[in-house]
Amino acid sequence: MAEPLLKVRNLRTYFISKNSTVKAVDGVDFEVYPGKVLGIVGESGSGKSMTSLSVMRLVPGPQGKIVEGEILLEGQDLLQLSERAMRDVRGNRIGMIFQEPMSALNPVLKIGEQIGEVLVRHRKVTKAQAKKQAVALLRSVGFPRAEQIVDEYPHQLSGGMRQRAMIAMAMACEPSLLIADEPTTALDVTIQAQVLDLMRSLKEQNGTAILLITHDLGVVAQMADDVVVMYGGQVVEAASADEIFDHPLHPYTQALMASIPVIEEERERLQAIPGTVPSAADFPSGCRFAPRCALAEERCHEQMPELREISLAHAVRCLVVQGKTDRRENAT
Amino acid sequence: MATYIIRRLLGLIPTLFVITVIVFILMHLMPGNAFLALTQNPHIKDAAEVIKRKEAEAGLNLPLWQQYVNWVVNLLHGNLGTSYQYDEPVARLIGFSLPNTLTLAITAEIIVLLAGIPMGLLQASRVNKAFDVSTSFFAVLLYSIPSFVFALFLIYIFSFTLNWLPSFGTVTPAVPWSGDLGDRISHLILPALALALPSIAFYSRLTRGNTLQVIVQDFVRTARSKGLRDSRVLFRHVLRNAIIPIITQFGFDIGGLFSGAVLIEEIFTWPGMGELTVSANLNRDYPVILATTLIFAVTVLIGNLVADILLAIADPRIRYN
Repeated sequence: MAEPLLKVRNLRTYFISKNSTVKAVDGVDFEVYPGKVLGIVGESGSGKSMTSLSVMRLVPGPQGKIVEGEILLEGQDLLQLSERAMRDVRGNRIGMIFQEPMSALNPVLKIGEQIGEVLVRHRKVTKAQAKKQAVALLRSVGFPRAEQIVDEYPHQLSGGMRQRAMIAMAMACEPSLLIADEPTTALDVTIQAQVLDLMRSLKEQNGTAILLITHDLGVVAQMADDVVVMYGGQVVEAASADEIFDHPLHPYTQALMASIPVIEEERERLQAIPGTVPSAADFPSGCRFAPRCALAEERCHEQMPELREISLAHAVRCLVVQGKTDRRENAT
Repeated sequence: MATYIIRRLLGLIPTLFVITVIVFILMHLMPGNAFLALTQNPHIKDAAEVIKRKEAEAGLNLPLWQQYVNWVVNLLHGNLGTSYQYDEPVARLIGFSLPNTLTLAITAEIIVLLAGIPMGLLQASRVNKAFDVSTSFFAVLLYSIPSFVFALFLIYIFSFTLNWLPSFGTVTPAVPWSGDLGDRISHLILPALALALPSIAFYSRLTRGNTLQVIVQDFVRTARSKGLRDSRVLFRHVLRNAIIPIITQFGFDIGGLFSGAVLIEEIFTWPGMGELTVSANLNRDYPVILATTLIFAVTVLIGNLVADILLAIADPRIRYN
């Protein structure tokens, strides 16, 4: 397999205040390969967004802090860079798009300026050249009247158009990695499909790797090559997308899969996972999913399971599942 | 936009009508009139006769509504009447006072904007640090003290004690350099500062608050995610949004600063609209009272209109039809 483009090792992002330490990201590992899509899946509060902001080093300070870990982009540890050097990475080698295209765009600046300023910053072009390139970028993300759009403001565009403009902005400097934090969550279903298509075609054209953060398993199924499932600031399962959908192992992943409605089946009610995500300030001492887990045994409440590869390229953080495979291995 | 402005200007007419009618009534409710003082003048023997003649000349014996109609008709002919106490055309008195007040008010506004907005930005970028906490404390203190109190403090410190700056008038009389630029500026500093200080505090609070509200918004994070430098994020993305309510406030303040100058002008004997208004009221100089009220009302109303227009220019989401 090729060298990973992005390699995250033991990332810990904490929010530290006088009274509490919130472990939003608590020892996360994953890799993103060139031209591939890694989907990070999890409920709200699972730490997936903080993971993506950590890669950009945009964790909201002063409380939020990356306390440990390595974020290697093409072998270079981003956490060792000065803030100045990091600014050269943002928007240039890593592009990012956000969930709410309305609030993520500046309401009082023209679309053309917001796209163009990335080019002015990283490509040292003049404002006039940047505007010309912004028109070309807008056309490449499917705007028919790109010449007019550059002079319009975000409120004059629809939600889908805004998200496409965001994508044009994030892709302006042809970054090798695109981080997409819930890129379709705020959009209508038909528009979602358009935006996902656009991301896929950009990936294929430019060979851009995508780190896709979402809680939507449908989006993951369409887009991702590999999947990382997060719960309580930790990775609980990691495998290829096919493997995850065919053989989900972690009880949490299985519960997530069961909560998707299937059109062919008639069900009285959707399967919901009982309880809520534990607060990151107050995690249970053992497995963080144990209080909500149907399979939980006594030891699950006491012992924190390790993330362990139990078959080829399929890792899971669950004592029960690991126990089963261990027994099977012992039997053979 | 042009039709909007025209419609708004036409909308001023009923407002001005109501304001002038109220002032007209209140003015006549004040006891006495401008000519009664003549009874105290030893040179005038037949005071009662003279007063009667003067009142007739000024039309004061007519019914009130008739007096009002006459005033409006004269106004529409561009005639503001003649001052009772100075026996001079009101237009000439205002032509002398208005530029002085404008000089004072505009200087104060410039000081306010140049000091208040940067101060607020500095505070916001150091939020809850020592600089922010201490200057914010001072800002609240300054804002709580009315400008005429500052006027007295400033006079005590810079005129009375240190003797650096003059405390009255617009020029130094009877010196060769009387009335040159430096002389005028030295007279302007104290009244402008007294007028500006509470507003500086207010604008710094406003800028700080708006900036802090904008700085946490998603688009600021987007701007950072593009690798933009802090200065560009702050000035182009944050300030450009935070300035919008400040611009609106500025429009509203145009009228307020104008009338705020009244007390300051009295204290510094600055020969402006304030002085003219106060003496006109004390002496029941009806034509001058009406003219100054009209000007104050128009400034406030135009200030509000300017605020709306500036808002539309600053915020592309706002369109008037």
